[in-house]
Amino acid sequence: MLPYRPQREWIEGRGLLVVIAHFFSGVAAGLWLFSLALDYEAGLIISIVVMIVLAGGAHLAFLGRWPRFWRMILRPHSSWISRGLLGIVLFLVGAILYVLPGLRDTTFGSAMLALSVLGAALILVYKGFVYLVAKAIPFWNISLLPFLYIAYALRGGAALLLVAAAAAGEVFDIDLLQAIKLWVVVSSAVLLLLYLALANNAGPAAKRSLQELVAGRISPAFYAGAIFLGLVIPIVLGAIGATAGLWRGLLALVGLSSLAGDFFVHYCIVKAGIYLPIVGELPPARSYRGRPRLF
Amino acid sequence: MVIDLKRCIGCHACQIACKAENGTRPGTLWARVLKQELGTFPNVRRFSLPLLCMHCRLAPCVEVCPTGATEKRADGIVTIDADKCVGCRYCLMVCPYGSRYYQGEEWTYFPGNGANPYEAMAYAGHPTGVVEKCDFCLSRVEKGLQPACVLACPTNARTFGDLHDRQSEVSRLIDERGAFRLREETGACPSIFYLPP
Repeated sequence: MLPYRPQREWIEGRGLLVVIAHFFSGVAAGLWLFSLALDYEAGLIISIVVMIVLAGGAHLAFLGRWPRFWRMILRPHSSWISRGLLGIVLFLVGAILYVLPGLRDTTFGSAMLALSVLGAALILVYKGFVYLVAKAIPFWNISLLPFLYIAYALRGGAALLLVAAAAAGEVFDIDLLQAIKLWVVVSSAVLLLLYLALANNAGPAAKRSLQELVAGRISPAFYAGAIFLGLVIPIVLGAIGATAGLWRGLLALVGLSSLAGDFFVHYCIVKAGIYLPIVGELPPARSYRGRPRLF
Repeated sequence: MVIDLKRCIGCHACQIACKAENGTRPGTLWARVLKQELGTFPNVRRFSLPLLCMHCRLAPCVEVCPTGATEKRADGIVTIDADKCVGCRYCLMVCPYGSRYYQGEEWTYFPGNGANPYEAMAYAGHPTGVVEKCDFCLSRVEKGLQPACVLACPTNARTFGDLHDRQSEVSRLIDERGAFRLREETGACPSIFYLPP
């Protein structure tokens, strides 16, 4: 059988910019939604800045011909990248107009709020589907992947909220923050474990990806980043906060660690993508006599 | 196209002919030949597997392209419009056959010395920052000629023709010998048929 072929374009060299762009777009969308829910003005501004500068900048820097980026919105009927760009445009138009002074309490402001929420929702959803449709990479072609990306985007948004709030000295309802923190850590951990379990039963190529992740070339990033920084540190700091009380520094540490862990989850999933071998055992020759040909 | 694996001797003439005809940059192999072993010792045999763009009927690259640069023509050939491609490489991700190549930089065969006159002429048709792939030598096919890889094969392992014409040579070969396609389970419906070795 021909050897397994890892995907390289979207992770090595400039390909890392795709991971960075997807990470920050999810974090920005998640932060926008949490900031709306908690009425946190600074969070709204930060999410717009992160979306434009970090997510948008990374997306454009990755493209081979970035001046043509506007063309990428032309096929929302078939391409998830088009749908994602549409989501980003809707989000930015709605968000920027919503935060302008004097418009928020108007009907127009409400419409822009709805537009921004729609755009944020589309951003949360599209990334997982971008990878899901790659049937050639079985590790990505698992139906739980979009939900995993949604969970980690919301988790990233909550983490950035903690960092921003801690840095600015804002104090929210502590119980609410604890609940958010607990929910994002537990839900994303459960989804990640479920996803890996599904990958183990998704065929030899997916199993090979899982092997690379937990015991191969990607395992340092997975254990140090996704597990230790992303799960262990937030849980331990959360336990400390529950007993000794929360303070700003602790909130910031939880947020930063969580963000780093989220990035490594994105990184590990993309890096672990391995293609189906072009040919394994030769398939049997079949006769097409008298049968409709599928070409 | 039908490729007879019983006839293919793995000489790479198709690969060289493709390079010469299309003037692709180093590392870009629109046509390539992989070597595969079958069986276990002592009953082992080796065969050569020519690969190129499969010009799939349900091409995933066409579906995912966000700009419409990748299109499927009425005659079934999948093409890329370099003027529309933004180089997002999404098509590269979804291709099950590894048949697409991204031209990130202006690679030449003699780094440090720039492009020689042949390269300068050949690479003019291969802009950087975009994806490219086999197009069945479209410029030749439109003149009624065969693709370069078909003509170059010394054993006539490759046959190019109209799969919809049941009287064509490709159809006759598929009907008489039976054929298979690579990775049919991806649902791409490739247009390259292989006759068993």
